[in-house]
Amino acid sequence: MPFREFVPKAHIERPAPHQPTGRNTARALINTGIGAAAFLVTCIGLRLVLPFPEIDGGVSQKFRFFAAHKDEFDTLFIGSSRIYFQISPAIFDRATRESGLPTHSFNFGIGGMYLPETGYLLEQILKLKPLKLRWVFIEYDELQTKWSPENQTSRRALYWADWKRVSLLLRKLTDAGTDAVWANPAKVRDIILHQKDEKSTRTLLTFYATQFEKNYTNVARATDILNYFLDRDTKERRVSYLGAAGDGYVTRPNRMSPSQAVGYERGLATAMAQSGTRPLSSYTLEAYRQCGQEVREIGAIPIFLITPSTTQIGIKSENTGLSGVMMAFNNPRTYPNLYRTDVRRDGQHLTRSGAEEFTRIVAANFVELRRTGEIK
Amino acid sequence: MSFVEFRFLWFFLLVFVVYWTIRGNSARKVWLLVCSYAFYAAWNWKFTFLVLGSTTVDYIVGLMLGRSENPAWRRFWIATSVCVNLGVLAFFKYFNFFVSSASEFLAWIGLPASVNTLNIILPVGISFYTFHSMSYTIDVYRGKQRPISNFVDLSLFVSFFPPLVAGPIVRAVYFLPQLGSPRKFANVDVRGAIILFLAGFIKKACIADGVAPFADRYFAHPANFTATSAWIGVLFYAIQIYCDFSGYTDMAIAAARLLGYQLPNNFQFPYFARSVSDFWRRWHISLSSWLRDYLYIPLGGNRGSRAFVYRNVMITMLLGGLWHGAAWTFVIWGALHGTALLIHREWMRLTEGLKWAAHAMRWLAWPITIYAVCVAWIFFRAQDLSGAGTILKQFALFHGGGDEHFHRWLLLVIVALVFIHWLNSRRWFGEPWRRWPAPVFAAAYGCTFAVVLLFVPPHYTPFIYFQF
Repeated sequence: MPFREFVPKAHIERPAPHQPTGRNTARALINTGIGAAAFLVTCIGLRLVLPFPEIDGGVSQKFRFFAAHKDEFDTLFIGSSRIYFQISPAIFDRATRESGLPTHSFNFGIGGMYLPETGYLLEQILKLKPLKLRWVFIEYDELQTKWSPENQTSRRALYWADWKRVSLLLRKLTDAGTDAVWANPAKVRDIILHQKDEKSTRTLLTFYATQFEKNYTNVARATDILNYFLDRDTKERRVSYLGAAGDGYVTRPNRMSPSQAVGYERGLATAMAQSGTRPLSSYTLEAYRQCGQEVREIGAIPIFLITPSTTQIGIKSENTGLSGVMMAFNNPRTYPNLYRTDVRRDGQHLTRSGAEEFTRIVAANFVELRRTGEIK
Repeated sequence: MSFVEFRFLWFFLLVFVVYWTIRGNSARKVWLLVCSYAFYAAWNWKFTFLVLGSTTVDYIVGLMLGRSENPAWRRFWIATSVCVNLGVLAFFKYFNFFVSSASEFLAWIGLPASVNTLNIILPVGISFYTFHSMSYTIDVYRGKQRPISNFVDLSLFVSFFPPLVAGPIVRAVYFLPQLGSPRKFANVDVRGAIILFLAGFIKKACIADGVAPFADRYFAHPANFTATSAWIGVLFYAIQIYCDFSGYTDMAIAAARLLGYQLPNNFQFPYFARSVSDFWRRWHISLSSWLRDYLYIPLGGNRGSRAFVYRNVMITMLLGGLWHGAAWTFVIWGALHGTALLIHREWMRLTEGLKWAAHAMRWLAWPITIYAVCVAWIFFRAQDLSGAGTILKQFALFHGGGDEHFHRWLLLVIVALVFIHWLNSRRWFGEPWRRWPAPVFAAAYGCTFAVVLLFVPPHYTPFIYFQF
């Protein structure tokens, strides 16, 4: 083919139609507005009709189960694997029943679930308006801003990214405070200029802003429609997340190897040697304040739970300003049995027997607080 | 920053609004130049100096070619441009390949040599903007293009952000005249451009990224799969690479059109080609025509003996394969296409005037072509030659080794996509939109975009051609 055929006359401008420019601009703006409005209305409409998203790690299974049995439970445990594998509702309920103050509890722990995801999921649970729910145990830990790269691409990192959660993360990343006005120009400047160890902050800001956009525009939600109609949830899959008793608790029996035990002992000693307590950030407290308020709005009582793990040692549990009850098990001197090597899987988790022991202690504390009237 | 990311939409909105608000053509070009460099800097700001360096060299070479009448000096200047451009490309893209290949060859002949490869980051889009830039100096040398005295014009031509990182490859003679006169918004086919952008977005974000996990899973461990799944894996990759690349091209052309500039078409329904020769008139047209005009024809083209012509075809296709990536799999991909082109030529020569052959080819031409193209894709995608061999055995001989398999209904997905593609070739999707009144079109577009996002995977998969 001759060369000139590949040089079409694209560059030759056609004469512009003679129309008043102002009118054209106005028309273009109106049409753009119509397009944008149609886009937003469709996004909102779809968001309202779409089912709860299909999320890995047992989130969907537990949510669906709880939604189907929402009026059966009066006690809920929510948090990470430190709740999931360490609180047995069956043992808790037995202990409270034997004490004459019976409960019916459900474990909504999910592996790797921290604030802000916990806050979002709790909000969705409370929106179901569970009639009997009276006590909500919420794991107490720092607001996480970092996601591992492999999880960043999953839907798990997306479904909770609403404005309430994302704005808090953006505030924490930019150190903008929790007041109405966002202000920390120096920090913003450092982030923009990549100064003072702020290299990853800009990436995280972009990541969360994108997650927010994706969440509100229903990115990747088509699979939920398919899953909703096909109902591909198998019994085996449900049991793997809900546990044999169907109460949300799954056991993890394996113990540490001798070398892991040595590492654990060393880590524990280091953590115990550090003096003083460390308060959680104001952003975390704000998130827990919101959680507590939402729990109280349905007539339940929030109970903040610090689990026995080496990274939790030293977290300040007094004078947090939260309107809820605090239960702290992060002191190895007060609860030495929970930190013994033979009941631990690792620094974060207990073995099955350790989890049972921990559940009994939590139940005993709960009963005691109810008897003294601190928990009504 | 990629066309399918939200931040690109914000970026483009800013570029678009400011661009059409600015009155003067020079100021608009400066604004586009700044935006183009910012777009490239979003990947790695350090490599903007590489683009700038390449542009500066070709700017000087262009001026010197314009001033010099002496053939020897002109040859010197064009050689300088070609050497610098290809030298940069060779260093960043091929240095490690050549070094490791030489080392393996020496070891093979019994002369083991200890060589070190370098930890080189491949600048995104280097193959594309190098070819943009080289087309300018070569055309000036050939007298087809006037030397440009305005550095901004040449810089904008080389770095114009829509085609910068994955094409289409734009030639100076095509693009530079467009910079001469101010673009008029009234001449912009906004509706056509945004329909094209949406089509590209669907191709890339919904289809290519949707089928990519299946293709990736298969090509990662082909030996584990059955023969039927091998077919699904290879066909999905064929769909993925087409939708990925042509999706990018559609979005690039649409973005450029919204700014008043035209880019050359790059795809013309290549999977409906009825011969490999036809395939190359429909696939990556800007590259195939570039290679034809700047490599195949200078080598001698169709002039000379049959053996000489076949040599030219093979050299062009081998280098075309190597252009895609520094690996032997790409060279073999090029060689396979070259061989297929030669077989097609020979077949046409031998069956010229034979009615039965023409009749048979009416039915067989398309399946043979698509099969040959898919066999070649195996080498293009395979991680190494042994992996390609395994896949070829499964795909060509229907000999599956493993028991892992994909659902059979994925074959229906392939059939459905082919059918949609066919409808698209009949203009079923694009044309009705054009007849609607503007407000109806705007509302329908907004709704459609919102629905399309439902089908976009949560993760962003980089464009395949970014690595080239």
